[in-house]
Amino acid sequence: MANITFTFEDSRISPVCVSSHAGERLLDIARAAEVAIDAPCNGNGTCRKCKVSIDGKIVLACETVVPADDLTVLVPATAGAFKTDIRTADLSDPRELAIFEKTLSDLAEFPAGKLFTTELVTLEQPNLDDPTNDLERLLTAVNAEHIALSAIRQLPKALRSDGELALLRTKNTVLNIGSPVPEPLGIALDIGTTTVVMLLANLNTGEILSKASAGNAQIRYGADVIHRIVEAERPGGLDKLNNAIIEETIKPLMRKLYAEAGVSGEQVYRFVVSGNTTMNHLFLKIAPDFIRLEPYTPAFNRLGALNASDLGLDVHAHCKLIAAPNVGSYVGGDITAGTLTSLLWKRSSGNVLFADLGTNGELVFGNGEFMFTCACSAGPALEGGDMSCGMRATDGAIDEVTIDAETLEPAFSVIGGGEAKGLCGSGIIDAIAELFRVGAIDGKGKFVKSGSRITETDGIMSYTLSPGVEITEVDIDNFIRTKAAIFSAIRTMLNAVGFTVGDIDEVLIAGGIGSAINFDNAVRVGMFPAIALDKYRYVGNSSLSGAYAMLLSNEAARKVDELARSMTYIELSTDPGYMEEFVAACFLPHTDAGLFCG
Amino acid sequence: MAFKKPTPKPGSAINEVTLGVGANAITLGGESVLPFYSFDGTIPNSPKIGIEVSDLGFENAVPGIAELYAGTSTPAEAAAKAAAVPGVDFVCLRFESADPNGQNRSAEDCAVTAKAVSDALGDSKPLVIIGCKNNEKDAQVFDKAAAALEGKNILFVASKEENYKTVAASVGLAYNQKVGAESSVDINLAKQLNVLITQMGVDGKNIVMNVGQAAAGYGFEYVYSTIDRIKAAAQNQNDTTLQMPIFTPVSSETWGVKEATASAEDMPGWGDVEARGVSMEIQTAVSVLSAGSNAVMLRHPKSIEAVSALITALA
Repeated sequence: MANITFTFEDSRISPVCVSSHAGERLLDIARAAEVAIDAPCNGNGTCRKCKVSIDGKIVLACETVVPADDLTVLVPATAGAFKTDIRTADLSDPRELAIFEKTLSDLAEFPAGKLFTTELVTLEQPNLDDPTNDLERLLTAVNAEHIALSAIRQLPKALRSDGELALLRTKNTVLNIGSPVPEPLGIALDIGTTTVVMLLANLNTGEILSKASAGNAQIRYGADVIHRIVEAERPGGLDKLNNAIIEETIKPLMRKLYAEAGVSGEQVYRFVVSGNTTMNHLFLKIAPDFIRLEPYTPAFNRLGALNASDLGLDVHAHCKLIAAPNVGSYVGGDITAGTLTSLLWKRSSGNVLFADLGTNGELVFGNGEFMFTCACSAGPALEGGDMSCGMRATDGAIDEVTIDAETLEPAFSVIGGGEAKGLCGSGIIDAIAELFRVGAIDGKGKFVKSGSRITETDGIMSYTLSPGVEITEVDIDNFIRTKAAIFSAIRTMLNAVGFTVGDIDEVLIAGGIGSAINFDNAVRVGMFPAIALDKYRYVGNSSLSGAYAMLLSNEAARKVDELARSMTYIELSTDPGYMEEFVAACFLPHTDAGLFCG
Repeated sequence: MAFKKPTPKPGSAINEVTLGVGANAITLGGESVLPFYSFDGTIPNSPKIGIEVSDLGFENAVPGIAELYAGTSTPAEAAAKAAAVPGVDFVCLRFESADPNGQNRSAEDCAVTAKAVSDALGDSKPLVIIGCKNNEKDAQVFDKAAAALEGKNILFVASKEENYKTVAASVGLAYNQKVGAESSVDINLAKQLNVLITQMGVDGKNIVMNVGQAAAGYGFEYVYSTIDRIKAAAQNQNDTTLQMPIFTPVSSETWGVKEATASAEDMPGWGDVEARGVSMEIQTAVSVLSAGSNAVMLRHPKSIEAVSALITALA
């Protein structure tokens, strides 16, 4: 037995000491000890991200076998970064917030305030002539089948105070009693493969009381859904993954929401979650194994009403849990909820392409008459993952870049105006499009020009935008694969249903890329088809806005169910043309340059 | 009704690429019709055969190959013998000795050998230089050899996705030799590499493609359809980024598979090992030629004789 001490570069995390046996793998020990080390490849030794420092030497945790002696391991800040919430903060940018509000105003037909009613009753207090118990008195006075325990608990004191009693109720159930009764609250939760975002809202008024976001703690079990499913299949794996999302990610965020709004979980009566199919399974601790196995069938698409308190969440015992329905194994609730806010279904003519670009890219194509959907594995590059200097679109992120063709000097804007800390999705697209435009990189993303900002480390060239913020050939390669996955998915799906990009009348882009996205550049690198730029629009985090609409309105939730049922799912992985389209798209802008010029 | 011969729409022509200079020069490509379809149009240059020579000789060579090189002690002597084999159009010198995991001969030493081989061939046959499959080392060897053989118009195989920046810059730009662009059995990857190399400034008419190879039966259908589709794109759709002639180094694949290496003792039902190796080489070569390859590399004199006879008969 030896003691392994994990110390952290991030001083906010206290050291963790565990005992181990010689021969155990450091990454496994870290995971058992709940020490977060980023390992997107799940410890296969391929991603080389799980770097830790032992006696000043950098090693990979997945390739390090511990000796019989005591050991101190320094975990770098980047390895555990998903635990902190500084890199992620949706709706903190006023532009993102404006998009969110515009989306909600478009959904005025699903108004808030219809879920609960507040009934005022006056009850006679018990006396010697009429010693009828409190509950009987209430039941006689109101027309309800069920009085919730939380309401009964309030009853004795409330009944004996002067004045009217306010009852918070649905048609059949009295949920709470007070004078006045606290307003009903709800939570909208967007579970992304990489990022989790949450809103706390007043269900009567629709007002957002607080918001919070964090990295998905499951990241240490793999960056993409396939690695997570594989991990979940191992003995005890499902528990670990469920624990990572519920205990390590969602519960801390809920505490933050409640503290910020000064409320308690007892007031939360409705909880809406939107996430991809795998995230939905893991959140509910339902085995996701069969999602990745032929014939790719999830355990459920639509869930019906569940109770959020069954998941051990700090909410009212009668808190309804609603999950946006899945369509197939890789098209989940995030896209069905997002489709609601895209308003694609309202169009009676013209064809809309709606793309939610997260770690998984999901596409919906159609209008009010028909809808096709498919998914591709885009990777986390656009959300800042898998990039040496990637980050979400939040303070410190470079979101717009231009590069001078002569000097190769960059000009850029930083969200919040402060010092540049990294690049968000829109900044990455700009930087690569500009490097390509000025001829600094070739079609494979390799540097072909030299300059003071272009340097080489270990055979890998990189371009420095600002001290500490650089973009490497590996980053560019990751991005090229991401954009290729998206573009080839668009082409393959349109092909499968007999359309071409010329048939697209509007393109709606959702996801964490950032509102600064420059569609001209996105087309120039071959991420989106070369159609008129005024057809493109960024719609922000549509999964979250969709979940929020479902939170406030049963009609909205029903509409999402209806949309999910009317979508036709196309499985790209079984389409023989997809791989070829993908390889052709792994080039700037595309192997078939004719698609992007003239 | 009398038979009326259909007249196919004339397609675009494959680039003509000349290897060697003066008396030893040969030209690849130039056709605008399907392989051997000389009745549909002219085929200015029939497919060419290169003979594979290794600077280390061939270990455990079958009798026919051992006999050919008997008595030779240097690559130059071996190349001279190889060049004299009937049916041979060019000589391919493979620098096996440069492999860092093997003898790791220096690029400078390899360049000296290349010069000696070129001198030995003289005006007889043009030379093609092939690397050791180590991308980094190949780039160094090609750089030195291209410098030593400047003006000889030598094809260097290969410049790949991993090393095109250095190889194309030295071979194609600095020394104006012919660049062999090697990709792995995918039409898009082949095209991407051609685009990258031409964007560096190398004239597309100085590029010869090796679009990947396999021995017949070893995933060979992918090779066949890749060549077939490249030719279709080049000729029917006038895709100028795919109009480079194709060279397929058949022998380096076919002589490594079990059909060509398992001894008659181990596989009594399979017959003589040399006959099998020759058969494998011929079948693969004929297949890639019928798919559209403009040149093949072969090792055994008997295979060369058979393939050469086929080309002559169909030309």
